[in-house]
Amino acid sequence: MEGASYARMPRVKIRELKDDYMKFELRDTDASVANALRRVMISEVPTVAIDLVEIEVNSSVLNDEFIAHRLGLIPLTSERAMGMRFSRDCDACDGDGQCEYCSVEFHLRVKCMTDSTLDVTSKDLYSSDHTVVPVDFSAADSSSVETSDGRGIIIVKLRKGQELRLRAIARKGIGKDHAKWSPAATVTFMYEPEIHINEDLMESLSLEEKKEWIDSSPTRVFDIDPVTQQVMVVDPEAYSYDDEVIKKAEAMGKPGLVEINAKQDSFIFTVESTGAVKASQLLQNAIEILKQKLDAVRLSEDTVEADDQFGELGAHMRGG
Amino acid sequence: MDPLPEPVSYLCGDCGVENTLKPGDVIQCRECGYRILYKKRTRRIVQYEAR
Repeated sequence: MEGASYARMPRVKIRELKDDYMKFELRDTDASVANALRRVMISEVPTVAIDLVEIEVNSSVLNDEFIAHRLGLIPLTSERAMGMRFSRDCDACDGDGQCEYCSVEFHLRVKCMTDSTLDVTSKDLYSSDHTVVPVDFSAADSSSVETSDGRGIIIVKLRKGQELRLRAIARKGIGKDHAKWSPAATVTFMYEPEIHINEDLMESLSLEEKKEWIDSSPTRVFDIDPVTQQVMVVDPEAYSYDDEVIKKAEAMGKPGLVEINAKQDSFIFTVESTGAVKASQLLQNAIEILKQKLDAVRLSEDTVEADDQFGELGAHMRGG
Repeated sequence: MDPLPEPVSYLCGDCGVENTLKPGDVIQCRECGYRILYKKRTRRIVQYEAR
């Protein structure tokens, strides 16, 4: 290939890191790259999720397909998913999707024998593989109240005499096929704002006017320095590009009081994981997949047949 | 198709008694003559896609 290289060297700075949450800065790259990364995290990083349900007995109040759907949505720990095979191109079982290389089996057998209601939860699912189990939220955040007594995700409730007995097959998949395979709860990015206050114009305002102007912002971006009584930027990233302070300045007869620009090569990402993979691993897997896709583009430039070698990636490139 | 059409059992909507019906039978309870019968759930395993 000839011509100048337009390759840039993006930088990543991690600000906050928890198991299921991450905030980081991505700099020295364009919006196309930032958005590609966001989209890959949401819909192309593989996880494992229940895909086939064989119901033996169901005398619960929920119908079979309702329960099957609920089971599919339960997040399963998927650290191994990157190395697993898609059941559709698994050689060991002719795409049957029931072998050890491409699937994990679950069993659920519950019957309510008491007068009180029995909650059937994700903790009642027994996995054939200890590395792929329903995500446990109780340890992550003990202060959370949404899960009662730190139990799992409720699948169905049973009254006396009702029973649920089933076998479920979990398979590797991606969020593009079905949202149940998405490892991301939310992935967002914002342009980093650059805020310049026109100090001279600002000093032409009285303290009351300054306070009024500060309060016109729906988020707390500005405040008054208690010592100098000057307006200062306390949290530029709280600015939501709502233009309220700019409109307020114009209404007060002070256009150009503040100038706010979005930096075109600086992004602040927020990643929330479902728990299937850790947020940090989610980012690393996304970068890995983005690289694989770029490799596929580079290869297909020379040969059309190269598509076949890439299996599923080829399908993506043809507009899957 | 199955070579032998298995008689299917139904529950009467009125008295709750179990009725076995074959193809062509009149849909009516043998005990009380009630004409609404409920089919029982299959004992076979049923398969669903979790989507």
